[in-house]
Amino acid sequence: MHSSLVRIQNVFGYFTSVAFAVAAAVAVSVLLSSQTPSASLELKNVQVVKGRPHYYSTKREEYAHVKFDLDADLTSLFNWNTKQIFMYITASYPSTSPSIPPPEAVIWDAIIPSDHAPFHPNTYIHPTSKTPSKSKSKNKSKGKPYPEGASPGIVKLSNQKPKYQITDFSGKIAERENATLSLHWNVQPWVGALVWTNTNSYGRWSGLKGGVDKFDFPSLKGSETIKKEDLKTETGAEKNRGSPA
Amino acid sequence: MEPAFRRGDLLLLWNRGMDTHVGEIVVFNVRGEDIPVVHRVIQRFGGGSEPLQLLTKGDNNPVDDTEIYARNAPGQAYLDKERDVVGSVAGTIPCVGYVTVIFGDYPWLKAVLFGLLGLSVVMQKN
Repeated sequence: MHSSLVRIQNVFGYFTSVAFAVAAAVAVSVLLSSQTPSASLELKNVQVVKGRPHYYSTKREEYAHVKFDLDADLTSLFNWNTKQIFMYITASYPSTSPSIPPPEAVIWDAIIPSDHAPFHPNTYIHPTSKTPSKSKSKNKSKGKPYPEGASPGIVKLSNQKPKYQITDFSGKIAERENATLSLHWNVQPWVGALVWTNTNSYGRWSGLKGGVDKFDFPSLKGSETIKKEDLKTETGAEKNRGSPA
Repeated sequence: MEPAFRRGDLLLLWNRGMDTHVGEIVVFNVRGEDIPVVHRVIQRFGGGSEPLQLLTKGDNNPVDDTEIYARNAPGQAYLDKERDVVGSVAGTIPCVGYVTVIFGDYPWLKAVLFGLLGLSVVMQKN
C-alpha cells in the first residue's frame, strides 16, 4: 500500500489527470476571448485564357487569371491557445444545375504562425518592398509574417496573383456569373477544437466583417494579348515550394 | 500536415451527415491501401444529386494530392467523399499519441515494457 511502486503510480496518475484538466480548461477558455476580425478583399483584374494543366497534357482547358488586393486584420483571433492560423481565399461560382451546390476552390493560402510557435520554413512571410540596394541591416527584419511593428494577423497584399490555378472541372469557366472571392481562416489551437470562419457573432466572437468580393468571369481572350507573367501563379514565397510548384 | 499537426498528435474526427467544405482537414485512405492521409480540402465540386468530389493538399506540400490518388488508382483525379473520406478533423490534443508512435518505431521497447511488467509482478509481495 505504501510501496514505492504504488506511490509512483499514484503520482503519475495524478499528473495525467491534472494535465488533462488543464488542457480541457485551456481549450474551453478560447470561448472567453473576444474576436473582431475584419478584412477587405478586392478583385483587381480577371482574364480567362485557354491553357493546359501540365506542359505535356493534350487537353486545353479554360483558366481564369485574377489579381486581388487583400487587407486583413485577424490579430484578435490570436489568443493564448492559437498555434497558427491558416488563411485562405476561395473562389466560388454557381453550378450549372440547381440540384448541385456551387463548386469552390482555394486560390491562395498562407500559414500564419503565432509568435510562440516553433519555427517552420513553410510559413507566410510578409512581402517586403523591393529596394534596389540590399543593405545588410534590412535583412535582419525579414522573415516575419506581418509588417514591421504589427502583430500576427495583419496581412496586406496588393495585386497579388493566386497560388493555384482557377478552372472548372468541365474545363469551361468563361462568362460564368455571380462568382465570389471570399476570405476564410482556420485557427489551429495548441489543444482543443479547430475553428473556421464565422460570419455570425457568438457571444464575444464577432463575425468577419468584409472579406467578400463578387465578380463575373469575362469571356475567353486570345492568349496573344495577355502578358506572359500574368499567366503564372505565385511561387517562391515559402521555402518549401519546390519545382514544379 | 506540418506545421499544424505533428506526428503523435491525437486528432478527433467527425463524420456524421456533414457536408465537407473547402478548408476542412479530412482523413482519407489512399484507394486500395490502408494508409490514412491527413490533408486539407482545397477544391470541391458536385454534391447534392451528384457525388461530392474533393481535391486535397497537405499544407506543407507544394502540390496537390493528384499524384497520391493516382498511385494506386491511375486516372483518379479526385476523392469521392462517400467512398474515400474517413472523417473530418474537429479537434486536436497534442503529443498524447507519441507513446504509440514510439512503440511502432522501436518494437523492442514493447519487449522491454513486458519485461518490466513481469518483473514488477514477480517482485510484489502479494
